[in-house]
Amino acid sequence: MTAAEPSPALTVGLVGAGGIARAHAPAWRALGADLVVHSTDGAAELAAAHGGRVVAGLDELLDVADVVDVVTPTPTHLEVASAALAAGRHVLCEKPLGRTSRDAVAMLDAARAADRQLYPGHVVRFFPEYALMRQAVRSGEIGVPAVLRFARGGMFPAWSPWFADDAQSGGVVLDLMIHDLDLARWVAGEVTSVHATRRSLEEDGAPHTLAHVVLTHADGAISHVRGLWGAPHTTFRTSFHVAGDAGTLRFDSAEAAGVRSDLPPVPAGGQDRPAPAAGESPYLTEIREVARAFAASPTWLAPDDPHHPRVSAVDGVIAVEIAEAALASVASGESVALDTAARARALADLETTGSRA
Amino acid sequence: MTPAPAPLRVAILSFAHVHAASYVALLRDRPDIELLTADPDAATAPAGELRGAAFAAEHGAAYVDTYAEALAWRPDAVVVCSENSRHRDVVLAAAATGAHVLCEKPLATRVEDAEEMVAACAAAGVRLMTAYPVRFSPEFGTLRGLVASGALGTVLGGTGTNNGKVPAGRAWFTDPELAGGGALADHVVHLADLLDALLGEEPVAVRAVSNRVLYGGDPQVRAETGALVSITYAGGAEVVVDCSWSVPDGAPTWGGLTLQVVGTGGTVEIDPFAAHVGGLVAQGTRQAWLGFGENLDALMLEHFLGCVRTGETPGPDGQVGLRTLRVVAAAQRSAAEGGAVVRLGA
Repeated sequence: MTAAEPSPALTVGLVGAGGIARAHAPAWRALGADLVVHSTDGAAELAAAHGGRVVAGLDELLDVADVVDVVTPTPTHLEVASAALAAGRHVLCEKPLGRTSRDAVAMLDAARAADRQLYPGHVVRFFPEYALMRQAVRSGEIGVPAVLRFARGGMFPAWSPWFADDAQSGGVVLDLMIHDLDLARWVAGEVTSVHATRRSLEEDGAPHTLAHVVLTHADGAISHVRGLWGAPHTTFRTSFHVAGDAGTLRFDSAEAAGVRSDLPPVPAGGQDRPAPAAGESPYLTEIREVARAFAASPTWLAPDDPHHPRVSAVDGVIAVEIAEAALASVASGESVALDTAARARALADLETTGSRA
Repeated sequence: MTPAPAPLRVAILSFAHVHAASYVALLRDRPDIELLTADPDAATAPAGELRGAAFAAEHGAAYVDTYAEALAWRPDAVVVCSENSRHRDVVLAAAATGAHVLCEKPLATRVEDAEEMVAACAAAGVRLMTAYPVRFSPEFGTLRGLVASGALGTVLGGTGTNNGKVPAGRAWFTDPELAGGGALADHVVHLADLLDALLGEEPVAVRAVSNRVLYGGDPQVRAETGALVSITYAGGAEVVVDCSWSVPDGAPTWGGLTLQVVGTGGTVEIDPFAAHVGGLVAQGTRQAWLGFGENLDALMLEHFLGCVRTGETPGPDGQVGLRTLRVVAAAQRSAAEGGAVVRLGA
C-alpha cells in the first residue's frame, strides 16, 4: 500500500549534525527522502556526506521540511521539537525525550496540542537481537520472566563535551542506560521500584562512570541494568540474559559478531558504535517504521493503530521517568517507588484527549 | 632418609552436602590420609536420598554412626558437610577435641552462630576454614593479580553472577530452616568471598530484591529462587550480584559463576567454569558439556591439609566466612523489607 511508504518527495529536516545524525541521515536517504540540515556545528559536512542541503536556521528548516528529526543534545530537544510540532510537523526525537520528565511530558503535551505525531528514538527496540528476544518472551518461550540482566557500555563519550555534563546529559543513566531501562519495561512490564548506584571518577584526565540500576516489575520480575562509560579503549558491548520459569535467552555482542578480526587497534578518540548482529542497520529499521507512521496519517496516530511504530511517545516519557527515579536513588542512596502502570494510563489519557481535540 | 610423616587423620562429618562425595573421593585413596566418616543425621533426610552407612559403603569410606565416635578417633582435621543450620554444633564439637575445621559454606545460617564458631575455634587453638573453592581457581588468581598490580586501575565496581539449577538430590537445600534461605543464602557468599579477597574492604551497604517466580509452583522449593543483590564497598566500589537459581533443568551443566570487574584501566571478566568441550551428542538430541577446568575442591583440600600439616593459617578463614554471612543476612533483611538499603559496620 503506497500510503504506508514514505513519499519519494518527503523532505526531512534534520536538526543537529552529531553522532546520531550520522546514523539517521543515511537511513532517511535509503528511504528516498530529501534531507535539509540545520546545526550549529557540522551541518555542511553532514550534508556533503549524505547528499543533503544546509539551511540557515530552524525557521527555514521548518518551512521546507515535511517532518523533523531532532538529533540535538538532550537539553535542546524540547525547544526544537515543540517548534516543529507547533509548525505542524511530525517529529522523531532522539532519546532521551528530555533531560527531565517535565520536559518529556511538555513535549508530549505539545504533540497532543498540535495533533501531530511524536516518537522517541529508542533504537534498541529495533535491534534484531532485542526484538527477537522480546517476541520470544511475549510468546511464552521462557515462561514467566523472573530475573533479567542487561548490560551496555563503551568508552566515555568524550567526543562531545556535553555528555560529561550531568546537568545537560543526565550522565550514563539517562543517556545510555535509558535504552535498557526502556527494554526491561518492554520485556518484563511495568515498574514499581528503582534502586541505583553510580560511581564516577576521573583518573589521568580520563572520566569513567559505572552505574547499576535494579528494577522491580509489577508482575514480580526483577531486572539489573548496568551501564559503563569507561576507559578510552573500551569496545562497545551490549548483552542480556533473561531467565523465566520455562527457560532462558541470552545475547552478548562480544560473542555474536559474524566477522571476527585480529587487527591493530583503532587509534583512541573515535566514536564507536554498536555493529548490528546481522542484516540492515537498526537505525534504518527504526526510521522506516517511523516514516510509515508519518505517511499513514497527517495527525496524531493512536498507539493501537496498525501503522503506529513499536515505541510510543508515552514509552519515551516513561523511560525518562524511570531514569529520573534512578538518578534520585543515586542521590539519596535509597530505593525509589514508582508506578509506571499508573503513569502509562494517565499519559495515555492525554493521548486520547489529544487525538480527539 | 627422613621417614614419611604419619598420615593425617581426617573425618568427614555428615553427607548432607553434595560435596561430601567429592571430598570422600579425593581423600579416600591417599597414602598420607586416614579417612573416617559419620552421618548421624541421615535418618532426618527424606527417603530416597543416599546417606549414612549406605552412602559410605557406596563411596568406599570407613564409617561410624555418631560424631562422638568419629571425634573420639582424634582426627587432626574435620570437613563439615552437614545441613547449614547444623554446622554450628558440629564445628563446636570438633573444635573442642582439637581438630582443625574445614566447614562448608555458608558458615552458618545465623550470624551469631558463625561468631560463636569463630570464637570457639580461636579459643581451642584450631584453624577454621570456610569452603569457598572458587577462591582457588586460576582465573580468580589472574584477576586478583591484575587488581593487585594496578593494571585495572581504581576499581569502580562490577557484576557477579552465580546462577545454577535448583539444587536437586538433597531436599534440605530448598528448606529455608536447614539451608538458612534460598538462592540468597546459597549463592551470594561465593561472590562476596571473591570480592572480599579482591578489594580487601568491608561492604558498607547492601540492598536486595528477590522473588519466587522460578519454581514458584514447586512445593519442595520454599525459599526465594531469584535475587539481585547490590553491595557498596567501603572504598566506593559498586557491585550487583545475580544469585538466582535460573539455570533450567535441561542445561548441559549445573550452572556457573562469573565476575566482571570494571576499573579505570579497563574491564576483566572471569568465568572459572567456562573450560569445556561442547557439541551435540546422543543422536544430536543433547548438548554436550565436557568440563576440563581445574578441580577446585582438590585445590582447596590440598591447601587446607597443607596448612594443617604446617600449622599455617588457611584461607578463606572463618572470619571471611563470618563477613560473607553478614552480607547474606543484610541481603535477606533488605529483601524482606522490600528492598530497603541496609547499612553495615560501625
